[in-house]
Amino acid sequence: MRLPRRRLIAGLLLTPFLSGCFASPAGGGASPAGSSGSSEGGRLRVALAFPPTENFSPYGDDAYQLSRLGVSEGLTQLDANGTAIPALAESWSTENGGHSWLFTLRDAKFQDGSEVTPDAVASALTRAAQAEPELVALSGVKLTAKAVGDNQVRVSTETPDPVLPLRLSSPRLAVFSPKAYTNKGTVNPVGTATGPFQLKQITGDTAASLDRFDGYWGGRAQAPGIDATFIADGTARANALRTGQADIAESLPVAQLAALDKATVHEKPTARNVVLHLNTESGPFADPALRAAAREAIDTSVLANTVYEGYAKPGQGIYGPALTWAAGKRIEPKGRARATHPNGASITIATYSNRPELPEVAQVLQQQLQKAGFKVKLDVRDVARFEGDALAGKFDAVVYARNVLSDTGDPVSVLASDYTCEGSNNQSQLCDKKVDQAVAKAASVTDAVQRQDAAMAAEAAVLATGAVVPLVHMKIAMGIARPVKGTLMDPYERLVVGTGTRR
Amino acid sequence: MSGRVKGDNTVIPAALRAFVRGGGLTLAWRGALTAALVCVIGLLPWLSRTDPALTVLKARSAEGDPTPEALRAVRDELGLDDGPLWLLVHWLGGLLRADAGRSWVSGTDVLPSAAQALGVSLMLMAGSLTVAVCTAAAVCIRTLWSGSRRRLGGRAAGGTATAVLAALPEFLIASVLASVIGVQLGLLPALGWYGPQWMVLPSLALGLPAGAVLGRMLDDLLPGAFVEPWALAAAARGIPPTSVARQALRRCVPALLPNLGLFAVGLSGGAVAVEQIFDIHGLGRLTLRAALAQDLPVLQTGTLALIVLAATAGVLARLAARLLIGPALRDGALHSLHRPTPPAPRTLPLLYGALLAAVIGLGLQRDPLALDTAARLQAPSWMHPFGTDALGRDVLARIGHGALNTLAIALAVSAAALVTGALLGLLPRLSRPMADTVNAVPAVLAGLLVTGIAGGGPWTPALAVAAVAWAPLATHTSALLEQERATTHLTATRALGAGPWYLLTRELLPAVLPPVIRHALLRLPGIALSLAALGFLGLGSQPPSPEWGLLLAENQPYAERAPWAVLTPAAVLALLGALAVTAAGGVRRPRLKPRSGQPAQPAQLVPEPPQTPLLTPPTHTP
Repeated sequence: MRLPRRRLIAGLLLTPFLSGCFASPAGGGASPAGSSGSSEGGRLRVALAFPPTENFSPYGDDAYQLSRLGVSEGLTQLDANGTAIPALAESWSTENGGHSWLFTLRDAKFQDGSEVTPDAVASALTRAAQAEPELVALSGVKLTAKAVGDNQVRVSTETPDPVLPLRLSSPRLAVFSPKAYTNKGTVNPVGTATGPFQLKQITGDTAASLDRFDGYWGGRAQAPGIDATFIADGTARANALRTGQADIAESLPVAQLAALDKATVHEKPTARNVVLHLNTESGPFADPALRAAAREAIDTSVLANTVYEGYAKPGQGIYGPALTWAAGKRIEPKGRARATHPNGASITIATYSNRPELPEVAQVLQQQLQKAGFKVKLDVRDVARFEGDALAGKFDAVVYARNVLSDTGDPVSVLASDYTCEGSNNQSQLCDKKVDQAVAKAASVTDAVQRQDAAMAAEAAVLATGAVVPLVHMKIAMGIARPVKGTLMDPYERLVVGTGTRR
Repeated sequence: MSGRVKGDNTVIPAALRAFVRGGGLTLAWRGALTAALVCVIGLLPWLSRTDPALTVLKARSAEGDPTPEALRAVRDELGLDDGPLWLLVHWLGGLLRADAGRSWVSGTDVLPSAAQALGVSLMLMAGSLTVAVCTAAAVCIRTLWSGSRRRLGGRAAGGTATAVLAALPEFLIASVLASVIGVQLGLLPALGWYGPQWMVLPSLALGLPAGAVLGRMLDDLLPGAFVEPWALAAAARGIPPTSVARQALRRCVPALLPNLGLFAVGLSGGAVAVEQIFDIHGLGRLTLRAALAQDLPVLQTGTLALIVLAATAGVLARLAARLLIGPALRDGALHSLHRPTPPAPRTLPLLYGALLAAVIGLGLQRDPLALDTAARLQAPSWMHPFGTDALGRDVLARIGHGALNTLAIALAVSAAALVTGALLGLLPRLSRPMADTVNAVPAVLAGLLVTGIAGGGPWTPALAVAAVAWAPLATHTSALLEQERATTHLTATRALGAGPWYLLTRELLPAVLPPVIRHALLRLPGIALSLAALGFLGLGSQPPSPEWGLLLAENQPYAERAPWAVLTPAAVLALLGALAVTAAGGVRRPRLKPRSGQPAQPAQLVPEPPQTPLLTPPTHTP
């Protein structure tokens, strides 16, 4: 027939136009399902959970993606004990009564070929210090950086900052070549960082393709490149691994793990906790006795073993088992209030659904608290609709997941932001003199070990108020296809791919 | 758009003028609606009193501390202190220069990413439309086959299978397809959007339920076409059945085209769940993320794209309808599309009803909230006939207890949507642009807008769903009405001196309402689900309430390990759909039409009075 043939031809003519509507597969041309097998192992295909929100700006959360993919580095990095170890800086020492630190740089190259000079590092740090809004890692710190000689940088702060090397391990304070910085204050990380992999192409917030950087100071990476995709849905991420579309899938939801091949699931304790914040300012939990009643009613091992299916440890404190130093230093909180019977006090527990386990945690808590005599309502929302009301103290209790070492690497900073009167993330609305004193004291200690002791004392002070009930300490669950070796399991969730990762 | 020009040889220019005149007004109305919607979106944060600086900050960095200084920096960066009006004017000004501004969250240009998402969504829409059309064809192939061979008589309308398919939630089909076909069998890629084979599963997930609804609506109309005089004449002349079937389609499809357009647009903006499961970066997810983060430039651009798409689809659908039966509409030469016989009372609804009642009754005797973490995800057994969910609760109990709440609200919303839809459908020029525009608004955005305007109360979710749900019903009503107005018997009744009120209540409404009511019933399960979809805005039911939509959503992550926990609620929902559709036969039985007073007779009988002069297909092109 005449008409259908004409339609067919029109359809064929449309095809090239329509093919523009498909995403181009990461890695440039090759089918994403196919393997690009070569003699030295193929490119790694990594499925990451959090899409870049600010076009890979290192000042925002995307800094973590850059760090996980081995693109960027700072002067220092964190080791398993939570102490700073060398990265771009070989060594450092404090001077001038703690007002400044002198970092000695190692011989390294930027991915654009230029040398990592003290001037470049100083200007990178200065830019970061001037970024708007202020970087979390630098909150409350006025930082200046100056080049000294031909391989040293002096970083000074207004008040002595004993944890500066820890701060500088933050992915947000990574160093980029002078080319990366634009006049508008943005940073372009494509081919300007110092890590073992360099960004080649960014496809919006869906994918990125990276090549090995041969001039990396720590030696050539084993994998020739990385094809990263950002898959927000946990089930889809697990499916990517199961269908062989990804070699590494990070942060898999607990519900998906049972369906995966056991040999592909890898777990490690992280510094991330799930806690129950109780509103100490208004509502029933303004009464310390009821807070104590809630604490006593909650059985955290049920949460760890059922909701988290063993991929978490029952809550012990604010600092969990991932922080190895904390275990031996825990102090029993003193002066806790005595619990009274709640007599049907009515409370609302709020949480958010972006971490799929949290609504289930809230429902188990509801049952446990109801058994103890509370009347409990739940409010589960998307995190964007949750946060504002939670910080404004509109709920009686909040179930919240928090990385206690997230940005600064300093154990004290989470206490300062979450539990002091002035804290910006104070979901318990806590304002307690003893806590403020203990936190201030911990913040002033310079020696690393003593600082940890002081942090534990402050933790005990916080726990004594009953404002927070640690529920579980989470583990990261990473899906890694069998042939892949050398994936980094970082308790701070900062690293995934390193020089030794290959398949 | 009234299209009814008293015919002489200046028909075409006159029609053109009428079209332009009507079109001009409609265009202005459409523009006004679009402008109003974009303005309300621009005011959204101020209406809902949610600080955009905070949502933007949190969207950028989930762990970022919202210190006053950080919020101030965001506010300065975005110029929030200039107030919503200035921002809106600024954005509109940029739009004239083809600049849709920069995303508040990422700082990148909006237009390229919106265009990319639109392209993906259009492809997805094309794929799902193909599936939907195939599904619809499969649904009515039996009617077409026997109708064109004049063997339709006495056959009871089917519809159970279709109703079940129409009641299945898209995300459930998507999950099952992804995990069974994509992961376990490995036949087709389970995620991504890299080429034609990646389109298959998402298109199926979106197209199957939509096609079932469309097919059901078409199947509802077809028997009427086959008893029209031209069909009898064609059969008598020995015209091949395929030609008759084609003409019958041509006769019936125009009533569905506007709805097809709505579906197409709904599929692009409302495909969030399916986009998430298959990791497709379409317009649905773009607008959802922007709505949650209050990223206004992206949200405004995305919504505007959807509205333009909706308007285009609406106009195209109307043009196509005009192309198919335009002359007949103009000349008032159509016949009323009525089934030759009212459907006989059937026992099926009783069966379905009893089954549903039994499930609910059994469930009501159990405790829906009793957690037993030791008995998580247990398979069906005597203790737990429908198994247990991830927290060890009895699924049967939850279905039973959730039923009353779910059904009551869904029925109330459906009834409200039906009344609104039917009333607005009577005023097509007013309602058509409204329906197009409203239909283009993604459900979550509708929820946010209604919350912003009406405040967050217990009725907000119902209000938000009802605010959108009337659109397809109004479109259906006005499409049927347009045809009904062009029928010969209406001319005859008018000639007998009937006034407009008599025509409306005795002729038009009795003819138009039954299919629309059946349509509304078909959508009942979908409404029950969309109510639950608003839960994550903090609206509507909250866990541990056993509301059905919530039930499905909370068990979806466990679909592979505990399929019973999602399949049983879905089955009950499908049962509800089947009950609603089969029982609808009873709704239209008592008809007040004098013409149908004649006893039920074999299908070959022509219901029209024999004096109708037209024994030709309805659309003889001049």
